[in-house]
Amino acid sequence: MSRTLFHMALYAALALGALGLLWRMAAWFRVRIGPDARAVTPAERVGALFRGAASALFSRRLLHVVAALFLDVLLQRRLYANDKLRWLGHLLMFFGFMLLLLLHALAPVVTVPLFPGYESTLAPWLFLRNLCGAMVLIGIALFLYGVWRRRTRFAPVRGPMAAAFIALLGFVLMTGFLLEADKIASPQAFHRMAQENGVTDPAELEPLRALWAAEYGVAFSDLRQPLTPELLEKGRAVHAEGCESCHARPQSAFVSYPIARALASVAGALDAARADVWLLYLHVFACFVGLATLPFTRFYHAVAAPVSLLVDAAAPKREFSAAARASRRALALDACVRCGLCDTDCSVAPLARHLGNPTLLPSHKLIATGALAGGSLLASGHEDDALRAAEGAFLCTDCGRCTSACPVGLDLEDLWEAGRGDLAAANLPAPAQWVRARTASAWAELLRQGQSAHVLSDPDAALAPLSADRNSFSRCVQCQTCTNVCPVVAHSTDPGCGVDLTPQKVMNLLRLGMRDFTLGSRMVWDCATCYQCQENCPEGIRVADIMVELRALAVHRLGAVRNWKAPS
Amino acid sequence: MTSGRGNSCDVAVIGAGMAGMAAALFAAERGLSCIQVGSGGGILFASGLLDLLGVHPVAEGRLWRSPYAALAALAREQPGHPLARVDPGAIRTAFESFVAALGEAGLAYAPLRGRNRSVLTALGTLKTTFGVPLSMVAGANLLEAPGGRQPCLLVDFRGLREFSARQIAATLGDRWPGLRCQRIDFPGFEAVPELYAAHLARALESGETRERTIALIQPLLGDAHAVGLPAVLGLGHSRAVHAAFEAGLGLPVFEIPTMPTSVPGLRLLGALERVMAARGVRRRHLSSVRALARNGNPGTMTLELDGVPGGERLSARAVVLATGRFSGRGLTADRGGVRESLLGLPVQQPASREAWHQRDFLDPSGHAINRAGLRIDAAWRPLDASGQPAMPRLYAVGSILAGQDWMRAKCGSGLAIATAWAAMEQVADHLGGAGAG
Repeated sequence: MSRTLFHMALYAALALGALGLLWRMAAWFRVRIGPDARAVTPAERVGALFRGAASALFSRRLLHVVAALFLDVLLQRRLYANDKLRWLGHLLMFFGFMLLLLLHALAPVVTVPLFPGYESTLAPWLFLRNLCGAMVLIGIALFLYGVWRRRTRFAPVRGPMAAAFIALLGFVLMTGFLLEADKIASPQAFHRMAQENGVTDPAELEPLRALWAAEYGVAFSDLRQPLTPELLEKGRAVHAEGCESCHARPQSAFVSYPIARALASVAGALDAARADVWLLYLHVFACFVGLATLPFTRFYHAVAAPVSLLVDAAAPKREFSAAARASRRALALDACVRCGLCDTDCSVAPLARHLGNPTLLPSHKLIATGALAGGSLLASGHEDDALRAAEGAFLCTDCGRCTSACPVGLDLEDLWEAGRGDLAAANLPAPAQWVRARTASAWAELLRQGQSAHVLSDPDAALAPLSADRNSFSRCVQCQTCTNVCPVVAHSTDPGCGVDLTPQKVMNLLRLGMRDFTLGSRMVWDCATCYQCQENCPEGIRVADIMVELRALAVHRLGAVRNWKAPS
Repeated sequence: MTSGRGNSCDVAVIGAGMAGMAAALFAAERGLSCIQVGSGGGILFASGLLDLLGVHPVAEGRLWRSPYAALAALAREQPGHPLARVDPGAIRTAFESFVAALGEAGLAYAPLRGRNRSVLTALGTLKTTFGVPLSMVAGANLLEAPGGRQPCLLVDFRGLREFSARQIAATLGDRWPGLRCQRIDFPGFEAVPELYAAHLARALESGETRERTIALIQPLLGDAHAVGLPAVLGLGHSRAVHAAFEAGLGLPVFEIPTMPTSVPGLRLLGALERVMAARGVRRRHLSSVRALARNGNPGTMTLELDGVPGGERLSARAVVLATGRFSGRGLTADRGGVRESLLGLPVQQPASREAWHQRDFLDPSGHAINRAGLRIDAAWRPLDASGQPAMPRLYAVGSILAGQDWMRAKCGSGLAIATAWAAMEQVADHLGGAGAG
């Protein structure tokens, strides 16, 4: 390979990768998620980073950071706690790849100075290189198996760049093994080396060829003498003189050697086609493509995820300043590896399936939160996406299981809170908020106007089985027990901001067939679901269940006439 | 006896009204493990007053000073009446036991003296009853004072629609010259247009609200010998609230029960729930019984429950049916007649719908439909169509029983407590005789 071409390509890839990295990392200080993030400038956020780093480095927190480096970044402790198989796959890929990078790709600057007399064709390097490559391949296989095994309706959005990264990695590995196999089997490579080492006399060359055919896997097609012990003995003497210092037997290359044996019959043809040259080009340039595109493929997680883990170790989540929190949120968009462990643990995952709305799930919500911050979610024409994202955001129960499950230490609860703030700022607050914009009777009037178009029928009954069925409330005798035991009514001593209806009045409106008048009522929306009414109802009416159901119905029906528009 | 764990028990009580509560209490007191199924919401309609037998015969509307004399007359003239089947001595014991349990749970009653009392109602009428909560007894004392009725102040609260002191004073004024009424704003709720008794009761458990209320009443006392208030003096801590009012005003203070559902009903339910918890009765208060069947295993019955996800299955050696009448849904009425709701047991009832009611709705002798109910044998077991016990260990108690008109006879609590006691005596006999360990 031409050294000039190699170096030009290497430096170009390095430069592109570095520029891309700078661009991507600048986003950590530029992207604004959450209303409080609007109040801080990028400069303040950079300052907060340095202050935070300094206070972590010069305190006992440093121990946490060092521990995180080893346990969380290198050994992936959090992944181990959540999913052993995935941890195994990641560890195989990570250590296989890192060792190949250091000992093989960076051999001139790492391995050669460390190990005088290093030759890539000596033991144990042949074996180690194959071991590392096999580790990465097994890791990829485990990864793909895991993706297949966990395939669900709402799998995390991985996108083409994730697939490209895995494909590129597999390609580098496969070309590496093929290249090594080709070199083992290649008679042409043998003859070139023999010539370089001055073994040209047939009396020496023939025994050496015999030995290399018998013990080193070279696929000669033109051996003239049978491989007698005497001939091999002669060959060994020649080998000891010129070859042994650089060449160990290749059988320890336990992947490449079997490939070389399999390629024996076509070794001559491969030589004729100069396979060693183009395999080398493919192998090296695939690496350069990987390097140049690093900031834009899933490989970027190798930068962002460790940063996230170290930041997480540097201070407890709640101790971050507004500026630092803003940066952490932006970092989270990059550091998320779309592993989907959060989705598996999510408390409202069944709800996501029931509603057919994936944005309830953390991995999807993270993307929606990013789109919201970037403005694309609020672009006009995307109203449905925005409304669904809002539905997802406000059905979250803040249980914190996503944060505990996250293997890269993201403070997801903070991210969700910030996202909800952004939604509220875009006039997409929680249903309990937007429903307050009108009184119960104003909502009922709005429904009346909007209703002429469609008649309520079966879908409504499916959504609200209790309030649509007379039998569930017709037994009400208006005894006021529900109102008497209701802590919400008891608490609303101020007529200005109290409840508008009492529970028994809600039941009465249902009895009168005036359900639309209950949907926007304070009583329905302020109900604390303590279930006192239901447990005490002498008629066994499921008052609290009906309240909850009316809320669900209100989100559905009032949401339909709410007519939200994306801010222009 | 069966151990009190899991889904099996000696006695399953179906129903959590007065009769069901009494049955569960007496089962526990006899050392039987007990599971009670059903919502206690019906108790909320109670006034806290425990009737035994106030009126007999119903057609004459005759009031009795002594409930035991009334019981004796009932036994002579109406031997088929469920109350007439219980020994008066047992009734006395049952009442003492029931009231003592409520007292332990914080709901104190005035000592039972073997005579009926007169209590003021929110309508200004006088009600004949037997067991009177301590917080109401000063009113009964005032009404029954031998030297005539002393001056008394009735106070109500603006916005509490269900209680009007003025209405009571207007109704009773000509027979009680010293009866005055006053209306005050309830402290802290001045701006609220509509008040609810339970909220006031909870608010009065706070010392500050209590003192402000007392301070508002103080200047209105005048010549009053006692003060009557709607029954809002505390919920869980009613004894302390009532005592604080008497101490603060320096006079006897009495509550007047409000229209159902009322604070005394909430207190009674709360106290009974505490009683059940203290006696180890396992409650399934969110469940109802879907099916009841005799088990293959002789001597046990299986109850299938609804109301909890996946349902539940209970096993009991005896079952007590205390499901009440129409409002409690123990009985179901339709065009074809009256049925027992759970098992479809035959109901003693008028031959046709025309015979259900008298021509006059307010006919003093009552209506035949109100005396419909289950027929039982001497061991309190409901009978099937052939006149045999429907199941060997199925018992029925309370208002579901035939041959009584508890509302007109003023014997609701008496019927519940007495029949529960008598039936549980039979249950204990049968289970003890079965010799199970």
